[in-house]
Amino acid sequence: MVKEKLYPFHIGILIYMTQTGVLVLSLPRMLAETFGYNGWLALPILAAVASLNIGLIAIVHRMGKGKSIFSILESALHKAVLFPLYAALSAVWALTGCMTAKNYVYIFQMLSFNTTHPMLFKALLDILIYLLMIKGIYNISKASTSFFWMIQWMLLLLIFFVKDFSWVRMTPFFFKGGTDVLKGGMSVFTAFLGYELSILLFPYSDSNKKVMRAVFAGHLFTTFNYIVLSFICFGFFSFEQLKKLMYPVIDLLSYIQLPFIERVENLLFAFFLFSTVATVVMYLWAAQESMRQMMPGVPQKLLAFIIVTASFIVSWVPDTLVEVGKWLEYLGNASSGIAFALPMLLILILLIKKGAKL
Amino acid sequence: MSLFKRVRHGKNKPIGQPDKPDVLPSLQQTLDEFKDCIDLVHRTMPEIQVEFVYFGHLVGSDPFTREIAVPFSSISADEVPSLLARTQYVETQSAKHLIKEILDGAVAIFYGGKCYVVNVYKPDNRSIEQSETEAVITGPHDSFIETAEVNLSLIRQRVKSSHLKVMKYEVGEVTKTDVYVLYIDRITNMGYVRELSRRIQNIEIDAVHDGNMLVQYIDDHPNSVFPLFPTTERTDAAVSKLVSGRVLAIVDGSPSVISAPASFFEFFSSPDDYYQRWMLGTATRLLRFSAFIITIAFTALYVSVTTFHYEMIPEDLLLTLTESRSRVPFPPIYEALLLETTIELLREAGARLPTKIGQTIGIVGGIVIGQAAVQAGLTSNILIIAVASSAIASFVIPSYVMSASIRLIRFALIILAGMLGNMGLIMGMALVVIHLSGLTSLQSSYLTPVAPGRFKDWRDVFIRAPFWMLKERPTQSKSPNEMKNKMKE
Repeated sequence: MVKEKLYPFHIGILIYMTQTGVLVLSLPRMLAETFGYNGWLALPILAAVASLNIGLIAIVHRMGKGKSIFSILESALHKAVLFPLYAALSAVWALTGCMTAKNYVYIFQMLSFNTTHPMLFKALLDILIYLLMIKGIYNISKASTSFFWMIQWMLLLLIFFVKDFSWVRMTPFFFKGGTDVLKGGMSVFTAFLGYELSILLFPYSDSNKKVMRAVFAGHLFTTFNYIVLSFICFGFFSFEQLKKLMYPVIDLLSYIQLPFIERVENLLFAFFLFSTVATVVMYLWAAQESMRQMMPGVPQKLLAFIIVTASFIVSWVPDTLVEVGKWLEYLGNASSGIAFALPMLLILILLIKKGAKL
Repeated sequence: MSLFKRVRHGKNKPIGQPDKPDVLPSLQQTLDEFKDCIDLVHRTMPEIQVEFVYFGHLVGSDPFTREIAVPFSSISADEVPSLLARTQYVETQSAKHLIKEILDGAVAIFYGGKCYVVNVYKPDNRSIEQSETEAVITGPHDSFIETAEVNLSLIRQRVKSSHLKVMKYEVGEVTKTDVYVLYIDRITNMGYVRELSRRIQNIEIDAVHDGNMLVQYIDDHPNSVFPLFPTTERTDAAVSKLVSGRVLAIVDGSPSVISAPASFFEFFSSPDDYYQRWMLGTATRLLRFSAFIITIAFTALYVSVTTFHYEMIPEDLLLTLTESRSRVPFPPIYEALLLETTIELLREAGARLPTKIGQTIGIVGGIVIGQAAVQAGLTSNILIIAVASSAIASFVIPSYVMSASIRLIRFALIILAGMLGNMGLIMGMALVVIHLSGLTSLQSSYLTPVAPGRFKDWRDVFIRAPFWMLKERPTQSKSPNEMKNKMKE
């Protein structure tokens, strides 16, 4: 039987699921705070920046002919130089993953189980993450695809808000009343992060042009979802209200009432577990891939165990939601830096090698 | 007992195999081999100096009369060699082979120091009846029985093609059970045929009694709660799988025919879907998937909401629920587990008892336990509705094995919901998905066509699209002939 590879559809879904995380819950508020009135219009601009970054990754894919980035790096740089790089990549990706999980747990505890120790939930979440991580990227993509269908139906819930959506709330002002656009913009940009991990998928996919198209399609779908959700929030809540709501999407969901059930935000928020697991697993998997280069002899399961355990231990450190938010902000900036710098470094290496051949 | 001891101590002597090296067959050696087998028949025709050895209950009277009784009783001694030259009498020079042939229902003929065998196998079998476990309203009602030859004939009657190929293997060192592997040449992917055959040949066990037992030896993940290969007793279902590019395995002595590879979603389809108008077929399929969600989550959601999330219940319903639960002294999780266990006990008791007593169990369970439990204040009315709905929904799933697996998972979800509320329920579901994503059936993804996404297959998985839209075989079959409406060459 032929060994299965990641098909473009898988990759698209995988990227979408990695990008979509709990940050979406506060995204409309962040947009309102940073960009002011009609802040949702900043999303296409930020998405375009991310698309440029995807373009850089596509260049790496084309120039490297779908080769693993690690083999490109190792063909040009000495192990002594690469070790700190791998260590940094592993640390940033693993921490991003673990803080995303902790963030989810803290938000969940705002809704219920307020008195339970958050690390109990974190431990349970990490067990799930570990179980998926050890199955390898192909099964991660399969689980992500299933999770995608289990969460994507929620987009239809937006129909509930059509009745109470008001065009008046959109106002004729654009980007008025915002604050620090650069700092806030970078925070909002982290909502798009996740696409940068596509650079690690090259060896696992069919090495054709469709791979990068799929990454781009996944990113476009994320953008579409973000825009629709933020647009509804801007038209449903007033601007001032939106700025005050910590998680406007949760408030939006709590508005839904059915004859036999209400306050469904509690249940619907739990559904975000699927996308959180997908996001965290992808980041931890990326960390594992990077660590594997440093410790090639260590079995995959052991490596996964080390990463999950280490990230669990580190996640004890921040003990409030605000602290986790700060960690995520720093890690988001570091991840954004990696997202741009890593492909550029690879392009440079590939250019130099190409020049040397000529 | 000594046989099993030998296995436990890891001695490498194969059970049931003669220890001696193979020799030329002789009458005395054959009779010695079957010493103390009083059902062995040994007949002599001294006038023509021919001796017969066979098991009377394995041979059919018609073929015995045709191949043995009539020809040998109407010839003289010098005509025997010319009679034995006929093709149905096969000379054997291996004592092991002879023993095997006799056990397979052949008659051993000893003449002039030589040994011949002729196959007159015709065991007693029950008549072909309707399957009790896979009943359908419309469509063919015949189903497989315990005799592999009959089952093969049922399939051959429906697939009149020289492309239908059959391979035979032997499983079980003691029972020597015949296992037939069937596939349609040029439709089935030969990779699957080879893989299934390899796995069947690699089975090392003393006995295999049923198809559902065999699958546990050959499936990809023996520790999974989910069945990875569907088994069916329905002839039409087996043939449809065969034609769609699957490999079948028939186990002699079992009415359950195995098909492989399979996906999780395949267990939710029934032959009925194709015998009704497509819209009805689609509605039924959707109903089954809803039933799956109800089975897995309804009771767990009740436990979660009544334990941790009362705010989710609308005010009007809350009054009813509170009233119903006011007399119940237990937390919802105990209440739910108590009732779910009772339902499982009722189901198991009903399944083991004859139909008429089974009905009594239903009444006792439904009225006495259900109503009395509420009146005694042990459970609430609403929980009874939830548990009964879950139980009924589980029986909507056509595959009994899958339905049982899902019911087991439901218990885990109830416990998780009782511990962690909605989050526990969703975590449980995520765990199920993670587990499912790692499963394979004959090395192909168990979640096909959802993951990997094969949208064209959705037309025959989540819905039952009109036949004009179902022109291609399932992608999972990896058939060399993808189109249903034309064959290459």
